[in-house]
Amino acid sequence: MIGLLLCLPAALILGLGFVWPVALLARISLNRTTDMGAMEEAFSLETMAKLVEDDFTWELAWNTATLSATCGAIAVALALPVALLIRSAPPQWRGLLSLMAVAPLLVSSTARIVGWMAILGDRGMINAVLAWIGVVDDPVRLINNWTGVRIGLTESLMPYACLVLIAGLGRLDSRLEEAAATLGATRTKTFLRVTLPLAAPALAAAFLLVFVLGVSAFVTPRLMGGGRVFVVATEIFDLALETVDWPAAAAMAMLLLGSLGLAMALRGLVAKVAR
Amino acid sequence: MRILAYAAAALFAAGPALAQTGGRVTLQAYAGIFKDNYTQTVLAPFTARSGTAVQYHEGGTSAQMLGTLRAQRADPQIDVVIMDVTTAAIACAEGLVERIDAATLPVIAELDDQARASGGACGPAVTYDHLVMVYDTRAVTPAPTRWAAMWDPAHRGRIALSAPPNIQGLAMTAILAHANGGSWQNLNAAMPRLREIAPAVQTFDPNPDGYTLILNDQVRFATGWNARAQLYRDQSQGRIGVVLPEEGTVFQINTINIVANSKNRAQALALAAHALSADAQKAFTERMFYGPTNARAQVSPEAMARTALAPEFRSRVIPLDWTEMVRLRDGWNQRWRREVISASGR
Repeated sequence: MIGLLLCLPAALILGLGFVWPVALLARISLNRTTDMGAMEEAFSLETMAKLVEDDFTWELAWNTATLSATCGAIAVALALPVALLIRSAPPQWRGLLSLMAVAPLLVSSTARIVGWMAILGDRGMINAVLAWIGVVDDPVRLINNWTGVRIGLTESLMPYACLVLIAGLGRLDSRLEEAAATLGATRTKTFLRVTLPLAAPALAAAFLLVFVLGVSAFVTPRLMGGGRVFVVATEIFDLALETVDWPAAAAMAMLLLGSLGLAMALRGLVAKVAR
Repeated sequence: MRILAYAAAALFAAGPALAQTGGRVTLQAYAGIFKDNYTQTVLAPFTARSGTAVQYHEGGTSAQMLGTLRAQRADPQIDVVIMDVTTAAIACAEGLVERIDAATLPVIAELDDQARASGGACGPAVTYDHLVMVYDTRAVTPAPTRWAAMWDPAHRGRIALSAPPNIQGLAMTAILAHANGGSWQNLNAAMPRLREIAPAVQTFDPNPDGYTLILNDQVRFATGWNARAQLYRDQSQGRIGVVLPEEGTVFQINTINIVANSKNRAQALALAAHALSADAQKAFTERMFYGPTNARAQVSPEAMARTALAPEFRSRVIPLDWTEMVRLRDGWNQRWRREVISASGR
């Protein structure tokens, strides 16, 4: 009983901050939009059905999933050496190094993207250097396309991957690696046969977190995609704020939420079976 | 006695603008330079004359303003809203704003035909803006006069265009359709030209906007709205050039509406009457170069020359019906994505 009472504040916050807005969104998704754009009260799955039948919705889903998976995997792969370095660093340095690894989170994502624009732009730093050393005549297209979005999204996801991996790897028992070394394993073998398998749950958790963040990423695809990158989040924005089709925007958001829920449930199931 | 009678008649003819004094009214409209200039040229004189305080609520885009109206449907906190005609039509259809006519707002009789018609049953047009081509005067010489200048291979990779569903993208498409096929609805006439320019476009989503990209030396050409473009031209000491191209342009129309169940309806009507009056229209046009909708506004020739209502430009305005555009929009959007953006190959 006391436990339930103690949970009440968190449950209330969750209810007001998440469940209620999502319920409202679900309700709006059942409305209809007239030919001239007005929203009509209804209890219909018509909007949802239209989206499901539209090939472009599936293209968006594919774009979103592949972008998040690619950037998530690269972010985790890049974060792993950072987390290993921090783990092996003297204890007095770990706090500072951890802070440095997640420092990008202290800067607004929009500000970071503006920085990327200055670096990757057609007349940005990289192209200026390439032109100066005479490697290229025309600028290399590093932004306003999928390349730019992949670079920006990977960078924005990396600190989260670092955060999870630093916490996960910190709990590994270093005596197991020492035992492997004592038994003659090389450093590579120790890493591949001992450290990596032990780190697998942390790697999976990091990937899951950055994948989910990647799926819902909006600012990076919007600002670095140059209107050429279509993912679910940018489409929801366009539907809500350009064409003012709230039922379609809400329906797409519900589809995204449902898909993510399904992915999480599947992941839980797989983990359960694996155990 | 006679003087008093004239005064009473004048007061009656002026409608609620002078009849109502005091109190307060909340206006929702665009932020930034629109707010600054509208406050100085229209709202401050209104407050001085009527004693009504105006609270300016920065609404963001028209779509965001519609969102606010929808959220406040049961308890409106906004009294007057200035928003784009297509979004205003949605608000009108949803009953979020009042139906209004010349009997309620006599100043409507002074407006031109298009201004009266564009609001439908609800509020009339309060400003005309139009799509222009903006360019970097340092990099593009001689000064271009046609949209076709953007197709010059010399500017490859230095062009920023907005793609639909952004209304600048829709407007640009309609202009190309009109120029190449005679009718703005004829999308097939525009597509070859759009596919042709696609590989030369640096971005289809200029951020923060085309004017800034030109000033930052990222692009040489972009599309823009005349009023802001004219201000940026002045602020940049002529670095940004503004052209109403020979192929034509289309109006972007803002309407003024009274929010349904407004808590300060009398003041709201008074503000709308003032905003539509010849004096306010003249003042705002001369400050910000939006075309006046009040046919009696005596705008200076210099300011009028920087709007699409200048005699030499009037014939270039393509009669685009934004209500019909809303119906066509989805199809255009899809074809842009499949045929134009996919052809940009960046």
